[in-house]
Amino acid sequence: MKIWSSLLKIDRRIIYLAVAISVLVPLIFPFSIPTNVMPPTQVLFNAVDNIDPDNQAMLISVDYDPQTMPELQPMLKALLRHAFARRLPVLVMSWPVQGLGLGKKGLDEVTAEFNRLAQTAEDSIIYGRDYVFLGWPPYWLAAVLRMGSDIGQAFPADYYKNRTSALELMKRIKNYNDIGLIISIAGSAAPQSWITYVNTRFGVRVGAGSTAVSAPDFYPFLNTGQMTGMMAGLKGASEYEHLVHTRYKTTGEMAAIRGMSSQSIAHLAILVLVVIGNIGYFVTRRKQ
Amino acid sequence: MKRKIPLIIVLVLGITMMIQFFIPHKFSKDIYMNILDWIAIIGAFAFILGLGSIIRHHIDKIRRKKEHWPYSWVTLIAIVMTAIIGLGGGMEGKGPLPVSFPIVTSAGARVISYSIQTIYENIMAPLGATMFALLAFFMASAAYRAFRARTMEATLLLVAAFIVMVGVVPLGHFISPRLPYLAQCIMDVPNTASKRGILFGVGLGVAATSLKIMLGIERNWLGGGK
Repeated sequence: MKIWSSLLKIDRRIIYLAVAISVLVPLIFPFSIPTNVMPPTQVLFNAVDNIDPDNQAMLISVDYDPQTMPELQPMLKALLRHAFARRLPVLVMSWPVQGLGLGKKGLDEVTAEFNRLAQTAEDSIIYGRDYVFLGWPPYWLAAVLRMGSDIGQAFPADYYKNRTSALELMKRIKNYNDIGLIISIAGSAAPQSWITYVNTRFGVRVGAGSTAVSAPDFYPFLNTGQMTGMMAGLKGASEYEHLVHTRYKTTGEMAAIRGMSSQSIAHLAILVLVVIGNIGYFVTRRKQ
Repeated sequence: MKRKIPLIIVLVLGITMMIQFFIPHKFSKDIYMNILDWIAIIGAFAFILGLGSIIRHHIDKIRRKKEHWPYSWVTLIAIVMTAIIGLGGGMEGKGPLPVSFPIVTSAGARVISYSIQTIYENIMAPLGATMFALLAFFMASAAYRAFRARTMEATLLLVAAFIVMVGVVPLGHFISPRLPYLAQCIMDVPNTASKRGILFGVGLGVAATSLKIMLGIERNWLGGGK
């Protein structure tokens, strides 16, 4: 009886230890699990793949802060790799000011990956020609509505204080008509706001990268077609990394795929704990 | 008068913006663009107000030696230091304040930098990520205690959580290729149905509250007092 009832009262420190071990051990001794791609990620990948690089650009909005960085930063890097591999022009902006540093870090790392292998200026990823870091607007809603008529007016200067209209890329990317897809990467309801204010009003397609915990909020929008694909959590990021690497043979660290072994074991550990708790509950209830 | 003027501004501007949306005339668009500029300017001023407010709050806390007052020093010092480094050093460390120095050690020459990006990557990013990572431990503990099949509803929740938790990681596909699709089905159908209901409720609530604010029925935004 005592053994069964003790299953109901496992000390929380033991639970914490079990979670820590299940996260750390696979990180130290990683093992590979085949990646299966789910439909929302595939839809997003196809949407990025179908943007015409000669006429349109992709806008990535870094709508997250360092708290959700481990889950969302791999998404930003996978999207940038995908775009740069296709020579698809990219605009990057940030909704929260804390996202600026993450956007810059992601851009610096991925451009360095590509430029390390580049032989000529044509092969290189060059600021102003292939991508622009717009930075952060003081009041998001006013800026995104203004971008519908002129991106240069919403962001008169970029992150590096260059005049936006003077940049080569911005001479042909004027407003949302020149944006093939907006992807909001967020740990909040930011993608929903992009749908409300930009997709509904200007008709631009909106995709999302979301933390696993927020992902269920966006399924109604995927279902209606208002949202064009989504990466859900670290698993979604790993699926996108897998798709980009398989199609374009990109280099660079694939942090999400590396984290999958750890996440799988951590989920398993939590499920084992839930099963133990329920076994204890049923046995003690029957004996009572 | 102090309350009437803001109420009149909200009513007039609220109705103007609603009508403007349906008039595709140049004059209407110009008004819209002007208002967007005004919103951005007011938004920027709100940051100055916010900064002033947080500084005043923490100075007051230190002066009165309120609970956890020493942490207020940490906040104030962090605000001042990041402001000096950010404004002086600039975004790329190219400002008038030098924020990187070459040093020579026994291991060779290297550069020490304390630019705003270095501070961000080495202090703010790890601190933020650590805070969020703690959630995994609390969620595991909460799942162990809460997911008990006590009633029919709790059992349904438990089974759904079980399928989704296994289905969303590659291990689920490894166990059975059908598991991820079952998890996807739970997200696509019952989850979407319930979320959609909530969204309709929220949408109607937002519309009703906006109308109440415009018509002056809801006045909490004006601040407390008479």
